[in-house]
Amino acid sequence: MRALQTAATGMMAQELNVQVISNNIANVRTTGYKRQTVHFQDLLYENFRRAGSATSDQNTMVPAGTFIGSGVKTTSTGRIMSQGNLSSTEKQYDVAIRGEGLFKIRMPDGRTTYSRDGSFDLDAQGQLVTRDGYTVEPGITVPNNATSVSINAQGTVEVQLPGQTAPQTLGQLQLTRFVNKVGLESIGDNLFVETAASGPAIDGVGGGEGFGSLQQNYLEEGNVQAVTELTTLIAAQRAYEMNSKVITAADQMMSATTSMFRG
Amino acid sequence: MENALLVGLSRQMALARELDVIANNLANTSTNGFKSRSARFNEFIMPVASAETFPSGDRRLSYVIDKGTPIDLSQGALERTGNPLDVALREDNYLVVQTPNGQRYTRAGSLSLNQQGELVTKGGQQVLGEGGPIRFSNTETNFSIAVDGTVSSDQGVRGKLRQVRFNNPRALSSDGNNLFASATPPLPAGPQARLEPGAIEGSNVKAIIEMTRLMEVQRSYQGIANMMTKTDELRTKAISRLADQQA
Repeated sequence: MRALQTAATGMMAQELNVQVISNNIANVRTTGYKRQTVHFQDLLYENFRRAGSATSDQNTMVPAGTFIGSGVKTTSTGRIMSQGNLSSTEKQYDVAIRGEGLFKIRMPDGRTTYSRDGSFDLDAQGQLVTRDGYTVEPGITVPNNATSVSINAQGTVEVQLPGQTAPQTLGQLQLTRFVNKVGLESIGDNLFVETAASGPAIDGVGGGEGFGSLQQNYLEEGNVQAVTELTTLIAAQRAYEMNSKVITAADQMMSATTSMFRG
Repeated sequence: MENALLVGLSRQMALARELDVIANNLANTSTNGFKSRSARFNEFIMPVASAETFPSGDRRLSYVIDKGTPIDLSQGALERTGNPLDVALREDNYLVVQTPNGQRYTRAGSLSLNQQGELVTKGGQQVLGEGGPIRFSNTETNFSIAVDGTVSSDQGVRGKLRQVRFNNPRALSSDGNNLFASATPPLPAGPQARLEPGAIEGSNVKAIIEMTRLMEVQRSYQGIANMMTKTDELRTKAISRLADQQA
Protein backbone atom coordinates (compact mmCIF):
# COMPACT_ATOMS: atom_id res chain seq x y z
CA MET A 1 0.00 0.00 0.00
CA ARG A 2 1.38 3.33 -1.11
CA ALA A 3 -0.38 5.16 1.73
CA LEU A 4 2.07 3.63 4.20
CA GLN A 5 5.07 5.18 2.46
CA THR A 6 3.24 8.45 1.89
CA ALA A 7 2.33 8.76 5.56
CA ALA A 8 5.91 7.83 6.49
CA THR A 9 7.24 10.77 4.47
CA GLY A 10 4.76 12.96 6.33
CA MET A 11 5.94 11.70 9.70
CA MET A 12 9.59 12.17 8.77
CA ALA A 13 8.89 15.71 7.58
CA GLN A 14 7.17 16.60 10.85
CA GLU A 15 9.98 15.02 12.84
CA LEU A 16 12.45 17.27 11.05
CA ASN A 17 10.12 20.20 11.65
CA VAL A 18 10.18 19.48 15.39
CA GLN A 19 13.98 19.17 15.34
CA VAL A 20 14.34 22.59 13.75
CA ILE A 21 11.80 24.16 16.11
CA SER A 22 13.53 22.69 19.15
CA ASN A 23 16.88 24.00 17.93
CA ASN A 24 15.34 27.46 17.58
CA ILE A 25 13.89 27.29 21.08
CA ALA A 26 17.20 26.01 22.47
CA ASN A 27 18.89 29.07 20.95
CA VAL A 28 16.35 31.61 22.15
CA ARG A 29 19.05 33.38 24.19
CA THR A 30 21.94 32.91 21.76
CA THR A 31 23.55 36.17 20.65
CA GLY A 32 23.14 36.85 16.94
CA TYR A 33 21.22 33.57 16.36
CA LYS A 34 19.02 33.50 13.25
CA ARG A 35 16.02 31.23 13.44
CA GLN A 36 15.38 28.53 10.85
CA THR A 37 12.14 27.51 9.20
CA VAL A 38 11.51 24.32 7.27
CA HIS A 39 9.99 24.44 3.82
CA PHE A 40 8.23 21.46 2.32
CA GLN A 41 7.27 20.47 -1.20
CA ASP A 42 4.96 17.76 -2.46
CA LEU A 43 6.59 14.74 -4.07
CA LEU A 44 6.01 13.34 -7.52
CA TYR A 45 2.53 12.39 -8.67
CA GLU A 46 1.42 9.30 -10.46
CA ASN A 47 -0.91 10.11 -13.26
CA PHE A 48 -3.65 7.53 -13.86
CA ARG A 49 -5.84 9.65 -16.12
CA ARG A 50 -4.18 12.72 -17.54
CA ALA A 51 -6.35 15.82 -17.56
CA GLY A 52 -7.15 16.78 -21.13
CA SER A 53 -6.83 13.32 -22.61
CA ALA A 54 -9.54 12.43 -25.09
CA THR A 55 -12.51 10.38 -23.93
CA SER A 56 -14.24 10.06 -27.31
CA ASP A 57 -13.86 10.84 -30.98
CA GLN A 58 -16.06 13.90 -30.47
CA ASN A 59 -13.25 15.83 -28.76
CA THR A 60 -14.60 15.31 -25.28
CA MET A 61 -11.82 15.15 -22.78
CA VAL A 62 -11.07 14.37 -19.15
CA PRO A 63 -11.78 17.62 -17.28
CA ALA A 64 -9.68 16.82 -14.23
CA GLY A 65 -7.26 13.94 -14.12
CA THR A 66 -6.40 11.40 -11.48
CA PHE A 67 -3.24 12.31 -9.63
CA ILE A 68 -1.99 10.24 -6.76
CA GLY A 69 0.78 11.99 -4.87
CA SER A 70 3.49 10.20 -3.01
CA GLY A 71 4.04 12.42 -0.02
CA VAL A 72 6.21 15.30 1.06
CA LYS A 73 9.87 16.25 1.07
CA THR A 74 11.96 18.93 2.71
CA THR A 75 13.36 21.58 0.41
CA SER A 76 15.24 23.81 2.75
CA THR A 77 15.73 24.77 6.36
CA GLY A 78 16.40 28.37 5.50
CA ARG A 79 17.37 30.93 8.07
CA ILE A 80 15.32 34.04 8.57
CA MET A 81 18.02 36.70 8.64
CA SER A 82 15.85 39.41 10.14
CA GLN A 83 17.25 41.83 12.67
CA GLY A 84 17.23 40.70 16.29
CA ASN A 85 16.61 43.11 19.15
CA LEU A 86 19.57 45.06 20.46
CA SER A 87 20.14 44.78 24.16
CA SER A 88 22.40 47.03 26.14
CA THR A 89 25.27 45.26 27.88
CA GLU A 90 27.44 48.23 28.91
CA LYS A 91 30.51 46.28 27.81
CA GLN A 92 32.84 48.34 25.64
CA TYR A 93 33.85 45.48 23.35
CA ASP A 94 30.29 44.43 22.62
CA VAL A 95 29.22 45.52 19.14
CA ALA A 96 25.88 44.96 17.45
CA ILE A 97 25.12 45.42 13.76
CA ARG A 98 21.99 47.39 12.92
CA GLY A 99 21.09 46.35 9.41
CA GLU A 100 22.96 44.34 6.82
CA GLY A 101 26.37 42.78 7.22
CA LEU A 102 28.31 40.23 9.18
CA PHE A 103 31.55 40.48 11.10
CA LYS A 104 34.50 38.81 9.41
CA ILE A 105 36.30 36.36 11.69
CA ARG A 106 39.68 34.74 10.98
CA MET A 107 39.80 31.18 12.26
CA PRO A 108 42.96 29.63 13.72
CA ASP A 109 43.36 27.52 10.54
CA GLY A 110 43.33 30.63 8.37
CA ARG A 111 39.77 30.21 7.08
CA THR A 112 37.38 33.12 7.07
CA THR A 113 34.03 32.84 8.76
CA TYR A 114 31.25 35.33 9.38
CA SER A 115 29.18 36.11 12.43
CA ARG A 116 26.47 38.43 13.72
CA ASP A 117 27.69 37.82 17.27
CA GLY A 118 29.64 40.92 18.27
CA SER A 119 30.56 39.93 21.83
CA PHE A 120 34.27 40.58 21.53
CA ASP A 121 37.10 40.70 24.04
CA LEU A 122 40.82 41.28 24.08
CA ASP A 123 43.30 38.42 24.16
CA ALA A 124 46.63 38.41 26.04
CA GLN A 125 48.26 40.48 23.26
CA GLY A 126 45.49 43.07 23.34
CA GLN A 127 43.99 41.88 20.06
CA LEU A 128 40.25 42.09 19.48
CA VAL A 129 38.94 38.51 19.39
CA THR A 130 35.65 36.64 19.64
CA ARG A 131 34.60 34.74 22.76
CA ASP A 132 36.44 31.73 21.33
CA GLY A 133 39.63 33.73 20.79
CA TYR A 134 39.41 34.03 17.00
CA THR A 135 40.69 37.24 15.45
CA VAL A 136 38.15 39.81 14.34
CA GLU A 137 39.19 41.18 10.93
CA PRO A 138 41.18 43.26 10.21
CA GLY A 139 43.00 42.50 13.50
CA ILE A 140 42.96 45.42 15.88
CA THR A 141 45.38 45.56 18.79
CA VAL A 142 44.48 47.82 21.67
CA PRO A 143 47.52 49.20 23.57
CA ASN A 144 47.54 48.08 27.19
CA ASN A 145 47.68 51.63 28.49
CA ALA A 146 44.53 52.76 26.70
CA THR A 147 42.12 54.46 29.04
CA SER A 148 39.03 54.13 26.91
CA VAL A 149 38.01 52.52 23.65
CA SER A 150 35.25 53.67 21.39
CA ILE A 151 33.80 52.03 18.31
CA ASN A 152 31.65 54.30 16.16
CA ALA A 153 28.83 53.48 13.76
CA GLN A 154 31.28 52.97 10.89
CA GLY A 155 33.32 50.52 12.94
CA THR A 156 36.29 52.82 13.49
CA VAL A 157 38.04 51.82 16.71
CA GLU A 158 39.57 54.75 18.58
CA VAL A 159 41.46 54.71 21.87
CA GLN A 160 42.30 57.41 24.33
CA LEU A 161 45.91 57.15 25.49
CA PRO A 162 47.20 58.77 28.71
CA GLY A 163 48.85 62.12 28.10
CA GLN A 164 47.21 62.62 24.71
CA THR A 165 44.28 64.88 24.06
CA ALA A 166 43.23 63.55 20.66
CA PRO A 167 42.01 59.95 20.39
CA GLN A 168 44.12 57.60 18.29
CA THR A 169 42.55 55.54 15.50
CA LEU A 170 43.47 51.84 15.58
CA GLY A 171 41.55 50.57 12.56
CA GLN A 172 38.11 49.88 11.21
CA LEU A 173 36.07 46.73 11.77
CA GLN A 174 35.37 44.85 8.57
CA LEU A 175 31.84 43.94 7.53
CA THR A 176 30.83 41.50 4.81
CA ARG A 177 27.57 40.89 3.02
CA PHE A 178 26.27 38.32 0.59
CA VAL A 179 23.73 38.50 -2.23
CA ASN A 180 21.91 35.50 -0.78
CA LYS A 181 22.75 35.53 2.92
CA VAL A 182 20.13 32.83 3.49
CA GLY A 183 22.46 30.50 1.56
CA LEU A 184 25.25 30.79 4.15
CA GLU A 185 26.13 27.60 5.96
CA SER A 186 26.10 27.50 9.73
CA ILE A 187 29.02 25.72 11.33
CA GLY A 188 27.99 26.24 14.94
CA ASP A 189 29.65 28.62 17.42
CA ASN A 190 27.52 31.44 15.93
CA LEU A 191 29.61 31.27 12.76
CA PHE A 192 28.64 31.12 9.11
CA VAL A 193 30.75 30.16 6.09
CA GLU A 194 30.37 31.11 2.46
CA THR A 195 28.78 28.57 0.09
CA ALA A 196 28.13 28.40 -3.64
CA ALA A 197 24.53 29.40 -2.93
CA SER A 198 25.38 32.49 -0.90
CA GLY A 199 27.34 34.14 -3.68
CA PRO A 200 30.78 35.67 -3.16
CA ALA A 201 31.58 37.79 -0.11
CA ILE A 202 31.27 41.55 -0.57
CA ASP A 203 33.48 43.42 1.86
CA GLY A 204 32.70 46.84 3.21
CA VAL A 205 32.46 48.89 6.34
CA GLY A 206 29.64 50.04 8.59
CA GLY A 207 27.47 52.68 6.98
CA GLY A 208 28.84 51.88 3.50
CA GLU A 209 26.51 51.22 0.57
CA GLY A 210 24.09 48.49 1.60
CA PHE A 211 25.74 47.97 4.99
CA GLY A 212 24.23 48.57 8.39
CA SER A 213 25.80 50.60 11.15
CA LEU A 214 27.50 49.41 14.32
CA GLN A 215 26.44 50.03 17.85
CA GLN A 216 28.96 49.78 20.65
CA ASN A 217 27.89 48.50 24.09
CA TYR A 218 25.04 46.52 22.57
CA LEU A 219 24.53 42.92 21.48
CA GLU A 220 22.06 41.54 18.97
CA GLU A 221 19.72 39.00 20.53
CA GLY A 222 18.53 35.93 18.67
CA ASN A 223 15.50 36.59 16.43
CA VAL A 224 13.54 33.60 17.75
CA GLN A 225 9.94 34.42 18.65
CA ALA A 226 8.95 31.98 21.35
CA VAL A 227 5.19 32.22 20.70
CA THR A 228 5.58 31.53 16.98
CA GLU A 229 7.84 28.57 17.67
CA LEU A 230 5.43 27.05 20.17
CA THR A 231 2.46 27.42 17.83
CA THR A 232 4.44 25.77 15.03
CA LEU A 233 5.45 23.04 17.46
CA ILE A 234 1.82 22.28 18.31
CA ALA A 235 0.88 22.20 14.62
CA ALA A 236 3.82 19.89 13.86
CA GLN A 237 2.88 17.53 16.66
CA ARG A 238 -0.71 17.27 15.46
CA ALA A 239 0.36 16.74 11.87
CA TYR A 240 2.66 13.96 13.04
CA GLU A 241 -0.21 12.33 14.91
CA MET A 242 -2.49 12.49 11.88
CA ASN A 243 0.11 10.86 9.68
CA SER A 244 0.53 8.09 12.23
CA LYS A 245 -3.25 7.56 12.11
CA VAL A 246 -3.00 7.02 8.36
CA ILE A 247 -0.40 4.34 8.98
CA THR A 248 -2.69 2.66 11.52
CA ALA A 249 -5.62 2.78 9.08
CA ALA A 250 -3.54 1.40 6.21
CA ASP A 251 -2.27 -1.34 8.47
CA GLN A 252 -5.79 -2.31 9.54
CA MET A 253 -6.93 -2.32 5.94
CA MET A 254 -4.09 -4.62 5.05
CA SER A 255 -4.95 -6.83 7.98
CA ALA A 256 -8.58 -6.96 6.73
CA THR A 257 -7.23 -8.18 3.42
CA THR A 258 -4.98 -10.83 4.90
CA SER A 259 -7.71 -12.11 7.21
CA MET A 260 -9.80 -12.83 4.11
CA PHE A 261 -7.37 -15.55 3.21
CA ARG A 262 -8.29 -18.81 4.87
CA GLY A 263 -5.90 -21.18 3.16
CA MET B 1 -21.34 -15.59 -7.12
CA GLU B 2 -17.84 -14.90 -8.41
CA ASN B 3 -19.23 -11.54 -9.51
CA ALA B 4 -19.79 -10.51 -5.90
CA LEU B 5 -16.12 -11.04 -5.23
CA LEU B 6 -15.12 -8.99 -8.25
CA VAL B 7 -17.50 -6.15 -7.39
CA GLY B 8 -16.07 -6.11 -3.90
CA LEU B 9 -12.57 -6.14 -5.30
CA SER B 10 -13.26 -3.14 -7.54
CA ARG B 11 -14.48 -1.25 -4.47
CA GLN B 12 -11.43 -2.27 -2.44
CA MET B 13 -9.06 -1.08 -5.16
CA ALA B 14 -10.86 2.25 -5.31
CA LEU B 15 -10.77 2.61 -1.51
CA ALA B 16 -7.06 1.81 -1.40
CA ARG B 17 -6.55 4.53 -4.02
CA GLU B 18 -8.60 6.97 -1.93
CA LEU B 19 -6.46 6.16 1.09
CA ASP B 20 -3.39 7.09 -0.97
CA VAL B 21 -4.98 10.45 -1.77
CA ILE B 22 -5.81 11.09 1.91
CA ALA B 23 -2.29 10.05 2.96
CA ASN B 24 -0.80 12.51 0.48
CA ASN B 25 -3.04 15.32 1.72
CA LEU B 26 -2.14 14.68 5.34
CA ALA B 27 1.57 14.36 4.53
CA ASN B 28 1.36 17.83 3.00
CA THR B 29 -0.39 19.64 5.87
CA SER B 30 2.72 21.82 6.29
CA THR B 31 3.46 22.36 2.61
CA ASN B 32 3.10 25.97 1.48
CA GLY B 33 0.60 26.56 -1.30
CA PHE B 34 -0.45 22.90 -1.36
CA LYS B 35 -3.92 22.22 -2.79
CA SER B 36 -5.59 19.06 -1.58
CA ARG B 37 -7.20 16.53 -3.88
CA SER B 38 -10.11 14.22 -3.26
CA ALA B 39 -11.12 10.97 -4.91
CA ARG B 40 -14.26 10.72 -7.04
CA PHE B 41 -15.83 7.39 -7.78
CA ASN B 42 -18.13 6.45 -10.59
CA GLU B 43 -20.42 3.54 -11.10
CA PHE B 44 -18.99 1.40 -13.82
CA ILE B 45 -21.58 -0.77 -15.60
CA MET B 46 -19.73 -3.85 -16.58
CA PRO B 47 -20.56 -4.39 -20.26
CA VAL B 48 -19.69 -8.09 -20.28
CA ALA B 49 -20.59 -9.52 -16.93
CA SER B 50 -24.23 -9.93 -16.10
CA ALA B 51 -26.06 -11.78 -13.39
CA GLU B 52 -28.57 -14.25 -14.71
CA THR B 53 -29.79 -15.44 -11.36
CA PHE B 54 -31.86 -12.33 -10.67
CA PRO B 55 -35.58 -12.58 -11.40
CA SER B 56 -35.46 -9.95 -14.10
CA GLY B 57 -32.58 -11.69 -15.77
CA ASP B 58 -29.57 -10.24 -17.52
CA ARG B 59 -29.14 -7.43 -15.07
CA ARG B 60 -25.98 -5.48 -15.63
CA LEU B 61 -23.51 -5.45 -12.78
CA SER B 62 -22.19 -2.21 -11.29
CA TYR B 63 -18.56 -1.99 -10.46
CA VAL B 64 -16.85 1.04 -9.02
CA ILE B 65 -14.06 2.95 -10.70
CA ASP B 66 -12.13 6.01 -9.61
CA LYS B 67 -12.58 8.57 -12.34
CA GLY B 68 -10.59 11.46 -11.04
CA THR B 69 -8.95 13.26 -8.16
CA PRO B 70 -10.39 16.76 -8.43
CA ILE B 71 -8.34 19.50 -6.91
CA ASP B 72 -9.68 21.67 -4.10
CA LEU B 73 -8.71 25.21 -5.04
CA SER B 74 -9.87 26.90 -1.86
CA GLN B 75 -7.56 29.40 -0.21
CA GLY B 76 -5.16 28.06 2.41
CA ALA B 77 -4.67 29.87 5.70
CA LEU B 78 -2.40 32.90 5.50
CA GLU B 79 0.59 32.79 7.76
CA ARG B 80 2.33 36.06 8.50
CA THR B 81 6.10 35.62 8.30
CA GLY B 82 7.35 39.19 8.11
CA ASN B 83 9.82 37.96 5.50
CA PRO B 84 9.94 40.68 2.81
CA LEU B 85 10.27 38.16 -0.02
CA ASP B 86 7.24 36.06 1.00
CA VAL B 87 4.02 36.56 -0.92
CA ALA B 88 0.63 34.93 -0.58
CA LEU B 89 -1.47 34.91 -3.74
CA ARG B 90 -5.13 35.83 -3.72
CA GLU B 91 -8.05 34.44 -5.67
CA ASP B 92 -7.04 31.88 -8.26
CA ASN B 93 -3.81 33.56 -9.30
CA TYR B 94 -0.49 31.79 -9.70
CA LEU B 95 3.15 32.79 -9.95
CA VAL B 96 5.05 31.66 -13.03
CA VAL B 97 8.17 29.59 -12.48
CA GLN B 98 10.77 28.70 -15.09
CA THR B 99 11.85 25.04 -14.95
CA PRO B 100 13.97 22.98 -17.34
CA ASN B 101 10.71 21.39 -18.57
CA GLY B 102 9.04 24.69 -19.32
CA GLN B 103 6.87 27.09 -17.37
CA ARG B 104 5.15 25.89 -14.26
CA TYR B 105 2.78 27.62 -11.88
CA THR B 106 2.83 27.81 -8.12
CA ARG B 107 1.06 29.32 -5.14
CA ALA B 108 3.96 28.66 -2.77
CA GLY B 109 5.15 32.25 -2.57
CA SER B 110 8.08 31.76 -0.23
CA LEU B 111 10.77 33.32 -2.39
CA SER B 112 14.46 33.91 -1.90
CA LEU B 113 17.51 34.99 -3.86
CA ASN B 114 20.08 32.75 -5.47
CA GLN B 115 23.81 33.44 -5.78
CA GLN B 116 23.21 35.58 -8.88
CA GLY B 117 20.73 37.72 -6.96
CA GLU B 118 17.75 36.35 -8.89
CA LEU B 119 14.37 35.84 -7.30
CA VAL B 120 13.79 32.09 -7.00
CA THR B 121 11.43 29.67 -5.29
CA LYS B 122 12.57 27.57 -2.34
CA GLY B 123 13.21 24.84 -4.90
CA GLY B 124 15.68 27.15 -6.67
CA GLN B 125 13.66 27.75 -9.83
CA GLN B 126 13.48 31.23 -11.32
CA VAL B 127 10.31 33.17 -10.60
CA LEU B 128 9.34 35.15 -13.66
CA GLY B 129 8.43 38.81 -13.63
CA GLU B 130 6.48 40.48 -16.38
CA GLY B 131 9.78 41.18 -18.16
CA GLY B 132 11.58 37.93 -17.35
CA PRO B 133 13.55 36.96 -14.24
CA ILE B 134 13.88 39.56 -11.50
CA ARG B 135 17.47 40.28 -10.53
CA PHE B 136 19.04 42.35 -7.79
CA SER B 137 22.59 43.66 -7.67
CA ASN B 138 24.71 42.78 -4.66
CA THR B 139 24.62 46.22 -3.02
CA GLU B 140 20.86 46.41 -2.72
CA THR B 141 18.98 46.13 0.56
CA ASN B 142 15.45 46.60 1.89
CA PHE B 143 13.72 44.35 -0.61
CA SER B 144 10.00 44.73 -0.73
CA ILE B 145 7.10 43.43 -2.75
CA ALA B 146 4.04 45.64 -3.11
CA VAL B 147 0.45 44.39 -3.10
CA ASP B 148 0.32 44.58 -6.91
CA GLY B 149 3.48 42.47 -7.20
CA THR B 150 5.98 45.26 -7.84
CA VAL B 151 9.37 44.17 -6.54
CA SER B 152 11.71 46.89 -5.39
CA SER B 153 14.76 47.54 -3.25
CA ASP B 154 16.41 50.65 -1.83
CA GLN B 155 17.70 51.32 -5.35
CA GLY B 156 14.33 51.37 -7.06
CA VAL B 157 11.83 49.13 -8.82
CA ARG B 158 13.31 45.86 -10.11
CA GLY B 159 10.30 44.34 -11.83
CA LYS B 160 6.79 43.08 -11.26
CA LEU B 161 5.85 39.50 -10.43
CA ARG B 162 3.96 37.87 -13.26
CA GLN B 163 0.59 36.66 -11.96
CA VAL B 164 -1.55 34.43 -14.11
CA ARG B 165 -4.89 32.70 -13.87
CA PHE B 166 -6.57 29.88 -15.76
CA ASN B 167 -9.89 29.48 -17.48
CA ASN B 168 -10.22 26.02 -16.02
CA PRO B 169 -7.88 25.81 -13.01
CA ARG B 170 -9.32 22.39 -12.17
CA ALA B 171 -7.52 20.97 -15.18
CA LEU B 172 -4.14 21.86 -13.65
CA SER B 173 -1.98 18.83 -13.16
CA SER B 174 0.16 18.40 -10.08
CA ASP B 175 3.82 18.26 -10.95
CA GLY B 176 5.36 17.82 -7.50
CA ASN B 177 7.73 20.42 -5.96
CA ASN B 178 4.69 22.65 -5.25
CA LEU B 179 4.32 23.23 -8.99
CA PHE B 180 1.37 22.84 -11.31
CA ALA B 181 1.51 22.27 -15.03
CA SER B 182 -1.13 23.36 -17.49
CA ALA B 183 -1.92 22.02 -20.94
CA THR B 184 -3.45 25.34 -21.94
CA PRO B 185 -1.55 28.63 -21.79
CA PRO B 186 -2.44 30.84 -18.82
CA LEU B 187 -4.23 34.18 -18.97
CA PRO B 188 -2.75 37.30 -17.37
CA ALA B 189 -4.30 37.91 -13.96
CA GLY B 190 -4.96 41.52 -14.94
CA PRO B 191 -4.06 44.82 -13.32
CA GLN B 192 -6.50 44.28 -10.45
CA ALA B 193 -4.56 41.23 -9.20
CA ARG B 194 -3.52 41.68 -5.61
CA LEU B 195 -1.21 39.65 -3.43
CA GLU B 196 -0.33 39.69 0.22
CA PRO B 197 3.32 40.55 0.92
CA GLY B 198 5.06 39.33 4.06
CA ALA B 199 2.84 36.26 4.31
CA ILE B 200 2.70 32.79 2.85
CA GLU B 201 -0.29 30.66 2.04
CA GLY B 202 -0.37 27.47 4.03
CA SER B 203 -1.72 24.18 2.82
CA ASN B 204 -5.51 24.05 2.32
CA VAL B 205 -5.79 20.51 3.72
CA LYS B 206 -8.73 20.35 6.12
CA ALA B 207 -7.50 17.95 8.73
CA ILE B 208 -10.93 17.13 10.19
CA ILE B 209 -12.38 16.24 6.79
CA GLU B 210 -9.36 14.13 5.93
CA MET B 211 -9.52 12.26 9.24
CA THR B 212 -13.26 11.63 8.80
CA ARG B 213 -12.69 10.33 5.29
CA LEU B 214 -9.85 8.20 6.61
CA MET B 215 -12.19 6.55 9.12
CA GLU B 216 -14.83 6.10 6.45
CA VAL B 217 -12.38 4.51 4.01
CA GLN B 218 -11.02 2.17 6.66
CA ARG B 219 -14.49 1.04 7.79
CA SER B 220 -15.83 0.55 4.26
CA TYR B 221 -12.73 -1.40 3.35
CA GLN B 222 -13.18 -3.67 6.35
CA GLY B 223 -16.87 -4.00 5.53
CA ILE B 224 -16.13 -5.09 1.98
CA ALA B 225 -13.46 -7.51 3.19
CA ASN B 226 -16.04 -8.93 5.57
CA MET B 227 -18.60 -9.23 2.78
CA MET B 228 -16.09 -11.01 0.57
CA THR B 229 -15.25 -13.45 3.35
CA LYS B 230 -18.96 -14.13 3.86
CA THR B 231 -19.43 -14.69 0.13
CA ASP B 232 -16.57 -17.13 0.20
CA GLU B 233 -18.06 -18.95 3.21
CA LEU B 234 -21.37 -19.13 1.40
CA ARG B 235 -19.72 -20.69 -1.58
CA THR B 236 -17.77 -23.20 0.53
CA LYS B 237 -20.97 -24.14 2.34
CA ALA B 238 -22.90 -24.45 -0.90
CA ILE B 239 -20.24 -26.68 -2.45
CA SER B 240 -20.05 -28.99 0.57
CA ARG B 241 -23.87 -29.17 1.03
CA LEU B 242 -24.45 -29.90 -2.61
CA ALA B 243 -21.72 -32.54 -2.60
CA ASP B 244 -23.33 -34.19 0.45
CA GLN B 245 -26.53 -34.98 -1.41
CA GLN B 246 -26.88 -38.72 -1.77
CA ALA B 247 -27.62 -39.88 -5.24
